[in-house]
Amino acid sequence: MGWVMGGSATRRKSVLARWALVAAALLLAAACDGAATDTEELGGEDAGGDVNNPGVFVHALDGEPTTLDPARAALGEYGEQAIIQVYEFLVDIGPDGPEPIPALASEVPTEENGLVSEDGLTYTFPIREGVTFHDGSELTAEVVKYSWDRAMEMNLPEGQASTLSDTIAETRAVDDFTFEVTLQQPNAAFVSSVVYSTPAAIVSMEAVESNGGVTADEPNEFMDGNMVGTGPHEFISWERNEQLNFEVFDDYWGEPATLDARWQNVPEESAIVLGLRAGDYDAIQFQPTFAPELEDAEGVVLDTGGLLLEPFQLAFNLNIPEGALPSGDTIPTDFFHDRRIRQAFNFAFDYDAFIDGILGGLGEPATYIPPGVLGYDPDAPVYSQDLEQAEQLFRDAGVWDEGFSVSVLVEDNPAFEPIGLILKDSIEALNPEFRINVRTVSESQFDEAHGASPFEYAMWIKNADPFVDPHYYLSTYQHPEGEWGERLGFANGYENPDEIAELIDAGFATTDVAEREAIYQELLPMLYEDPMWIYPAQEVNAQAYREWVDGFVYNPLWKTLRWRFYDKG
Amino acid sequence: MQVREYIARRLLTLPILMLGVSILVFGLSRVGGSPIGIYIEHEMTPAEVAKIEERYGLDESLPQQYIAWLGGVVRGDLGWSGVSAAPVSSIILPKLMATMELAMLAALIAVVLGVSMGTFGGARKNKLGDHLTRVVAISGASIPIFWFGLLLLIVFYLGFGWAPLGRADPSIYARIGHPTGLYTVDSLLNLDFGAFTDALWHLALPAITMGYGSTAIIARMMRSSLVEELGEDYVDAARAKGLPERLVIRRHARRNALMPTMTVIGLSWGFLLQGTVVVELIFNWPGLGRWMTDAVLQGDQATIMSYVLITSIIFLAVNLVVDVAYAYLDRRVVLGD
Amino acid sequence: MARTAEVGGVIRPVDGRLRALATRTRRLSEIARESLRNPTTLIGGVIVVLFLLMALFAPLLIEPNTPNAYQMPRDFSSVNVPPGTDGHVLGTTPTGGDVLYGIVWGARTSLRLSIIVVAITVVIGVAVGSFAGFLGGKWDEVLMRLVDVFLSVPELIFALAIAAVLGPAFGNIILALAVVFWVKYARIIRGQIIHVKQNEYVDAARVMGDKRWRIFLKDVLPNSITPVVVQATVDMGHVVLIGATLSFIGLAEAGLAEWGNLVSEGQSGIIAGRWWVATFAGAMVFLWSLAFNLLGDGLRDVLDPKSERR
Repeated sequence: MGWVMGGSATRRKSVLARWALVAAALLLAAACDGAATDTEELGGEDAGGDVNNPGVFVHALDGEPTTLDPARAALGEYGEQAIIQVYEFLVDIGPDGPEPIPALASEVPTEENGLVSEDGLTYTFPIREGVTFHDGSELTAEVVKYSWDRAMEMNLPEGQASTLSDTIAETRAVDDFTFEVTLQQPNAAFVSSVVYSTPAAIVSMEAVESNGGVTADEPNEFMDGNMVGTGPHEFISWERNEQLNFEVFDDYWGEPATLDARWQNVPEESAIVLGLRAGDYDAIQFQPTFAPELEDAEGVVLDTGGLLLEPFQLAFNLNIPEGALPSGDTIPTDFFHDRRIRQAFNFAFDYDAFIDGILGGLGEPATYIPPGVLGYDPDAPVYSQDLEQAEQLFRDAGVWDEGFSVSVLVEDNPAFEPIGLILKDSIEALNPEFRINVRTVSESQFDEAHGASPFEYAMWIKNADPFVDPHYYLSTYQHPEGEWGERLGFANGYENPDEIAELIDAGFATTDVAEREAIYQELLPMLYEDPMWIYPAQEVNAQAYREWVDGFVYNPLWKTLRWRFYDKG
Repeated sequence: MQVREYIARRLLTLPILMLGVSILVFGLSRVGGSPIGIYIEHEMTPAEVAKIEERYGLDESLPQQYIAWLGGVVRGDLGWSGVSAAPVSSIILPKLMATMELAMLAALIAVVLGVSMGTFGGARKNKLGDHLTRVVAISGASIPIFWFGLLLLIVFYLGFGWAPLGRADPSIYARIGHPTGLYTVDSLLNLDFGAFTDALWHLALPAITMGYGSTAIIARMMRSSLVEELGEDYVDAARAKGLPERLVIRRHARRNALMPTMTVIGLSWGFLLQGTVVVELIFNWPGLGRWMTDAVLQGDQATIMSYVLITSIIFLAVNLVVDVAYAYLDRRVVLGD
Repeated sequence: MARTAEVGGVIRPVDGRLRALATRTRRLSEIARESLRNPTTLIGGVIVVLFLLMALFAPLLIEPNTPNAYQMPRDFSSVNVPPGTDGHVLGTTPTGGDVLYGIVWGARTSLRLSIIVVAITVVIGVAVGSFAGFLGGKWDEVLMRLVDVFLSVPELIFALAIAAVLGPAFGNIILALAVVFWVKYARIIRGQIIHVKQNEYVDAARVMGDKRWRIFLKDVLPNSITPVVVQATVDMGHVVLIGATLSFIGLAEAGLAEWGNLVSEGQSGIIAGRWWVATFAGAMVFLWSLAFNLLGDGLRDVLDPKSERR
């Protein structure tokens, strides 16, 4: 099986011809015979039981968690993808949309149903009755409070406890099945982005208390390696660097899962793709750059419909301390304070090279709010390559004649690295006096450079973290006093930082959707005029799975597959 | 007497060597600065980084860190593996066994192939057969393992769907107990021949890829020792008795030529160990080698240090055993004759 | 460890510098002629010469990329093009790099890598080896233990650990390999010095007031040349093999025209039938390493048939 039978006739021929040269022709001929029979069998498809690994949904991923503790897992970390299968939240997000649906809370609080107070500060969650944890203990409002307080008390630097502690003033278990939260200030995205966030997962109090309890600033070793939740899958075992095993939880309160599940860790991307083609895996997580490899694969469904909510970003540092840059960089520390230079970079970048060349067409121009998220505006201006504009802007900024040399920090990754190379080629082709040094480093070196102060690079490449609510994209990546705005010194560059800050804040202060959309419509062109990032593209959310998987559904807001929905054979 | 002295000397230098390796390994891990990168995330603020630094004792001075690390190693605590998200000591054993199983089969392949190719070539000194085996053997030492592995994978896994990736079929793996961690041995202990076949099936490609790479050293040594033995008087004597050349080689020369060949088997073991790094990556073998590549790409120093240390110890131990055995056997040979 | 290499080469009384030199030269040409009589060595030699020509004349074969010739020229509008299309004789990579360019300039990269590493390691090895051998005593003990420690870690793993700390860059691969490869030369030289020291005529020379450096130049160096040359020849291939392995794992910088890098870039495409990138580039590493190994093996056979224990 495999590529011998997949692919177009011409491609097959050229491959065969090649291997004939390495004296494997005879063997291959035999393989083709075998493949032909296999295809016929597949065509019949009446047997039904002809699937690999029956009863288990095998999901191959290119990595594995660094922790299974919701209080410790970082945003975008692999652990989140396991946590979501075993733990549950008060609310969930269904396959169809961005709106929260009831989960461990039997109702989603809104102003209409009276569960949100008029000042928007108090949320009441009726807790579902009769829910048991995988260890047999029972869900009560006290356990919910315990779970949230635990994350906030541990306050681990790698975790996301601040998502809770920055918003919440107080948590209360009013009675056995009523949980109440008071916020510090009204928050339009509280339910979708705080209640449905990793540290807000509901954990078994009994399990934590009998395994070390809660200590401030210290990880809990039991919770790092185990999960005791209420979800449709029960955590069984974790063979490090190999696999995590899950079984159907029989006493699940809702619609039970049909298949046990296995998380197969396959760090080598091409091995993942190979394994799916061979039918060893039912579904895989992979870089979209590998999607062309799966297009004609027999028995494989490749779905490239949606977009990933993690646009690629190329950052400008407007906060370079004197003498911090690597030797060889000739730019002054205030280089990117000039918005013409930032615009020029945005005009110079060869977006088509990245989208058509590297992503194989599986990407789209990205904006400051990704499609599918509230406030996304298809008519908002987006940069495309315009070398004349770029040259003019560089001339206006007065850097054309003497040129510059600048390093860009890139994490070693099949998507990030080409972005660096394209930037290099784009800028250097413009003017021989321009020089971009692509510095590729390992992920840990990249992270270390980011944790260090001062920040030693003028530019770097990464992708944005995925969020459910647009505010978090804007506050994290555009707000002059936001997480990155502060570190990268956006206030030094924005023509009008206060106006941008006010608009972003205003979009968050109201829960009215139309009002928020109007605000974002005003904001997006301003961000375009005064870009703090280059957005090379937003990649397609490519899903690949075997044809025998039934009921495949996917919501990008999940950030991973939800095994509970799938069946096979 | 001499042999005993030699063995004693070798055993005494071993701890010194290990201490040296430990300093080398620790020094290496700090050449590029603090190994904190693996424990932190891209979004962390300097204050959060400082908290992590304190947790892992990375805020102390280098000598203090070394002593703490060495103390840990002696107690069996090799630190926190970032890529495995667990203490090294808690996860290393199954990985070690997976690698050992692969390396042992590869060694077996290398020895069988190497000795037979060496014998074949040595018996046909400077004839076509000799030249051919030489090229085949040296090719093994020259072929990039990552490339050879890919070729095998394409032909046998992709092309025929014969040899599967990974170490075992998970459902078969789960149905037997694993007292030794060596899958082939475990399956035999369980009298489960289906599992045994499965284990061999998974072992085949990676073991061949690795074994072939180590063939050259053995074949070369075997060939030259055989050529040498064939020039000895006792061989001429045997020939004079009218024994056919085939039997002269099989009964006399080959046996004696095997002796010096043994020493390079220890050497080829080093070659095998380093081969696991690439082979395990390509064939998705859950052993120490893949663990190492993960760690290298992510800059996980605790894992890299543990890996280098453990590999060196295995390498030193195997060489010690081989050298001691050789010294012992060599004496017996001299005495016996 | 006990793998003290039996270093070959015959010591002869030296009656005059000129005559010694003449003998050496004659011997070298004899060696060359004798080695090349073996067909496998000849094949190795021919391939080596072809590679050297390709590397040296790379700028004439294919116009160098600007500003950095060792970077692949990238054309993102023609990625993954099969051999023979649009003037790409050997096709292109997933980033639109011309494979032929990578092959030809990769030879230059490999030559650069192997020559730098072999030169550095020979110099360091000779220096450390002579220190140990001449100073003797404690110095010898310490330096040789250091050598033993270095030999305790398998080459690739050692180089991998170093390159991992330094981060992905070709310069770091060179550095890592240099740190790993010098030890063998130190052993060879030291062994030779010990050998010469034990030799009677040197004692005679010392009585006559010969200085150490003269002994070194007159007796040690000429006798060490043959094993060093053999080792260096083999290492020329070995360095490229290990260097390519490191860059395959991902420790070279992006877009470098280097064979291991190309295999790494091309390996994903193999599944979809885009065999050309990984196949050609991998074959180059193989041929390069094979050629130097055959040559080294042939030289070794002729020079010192007994010193096969490395």
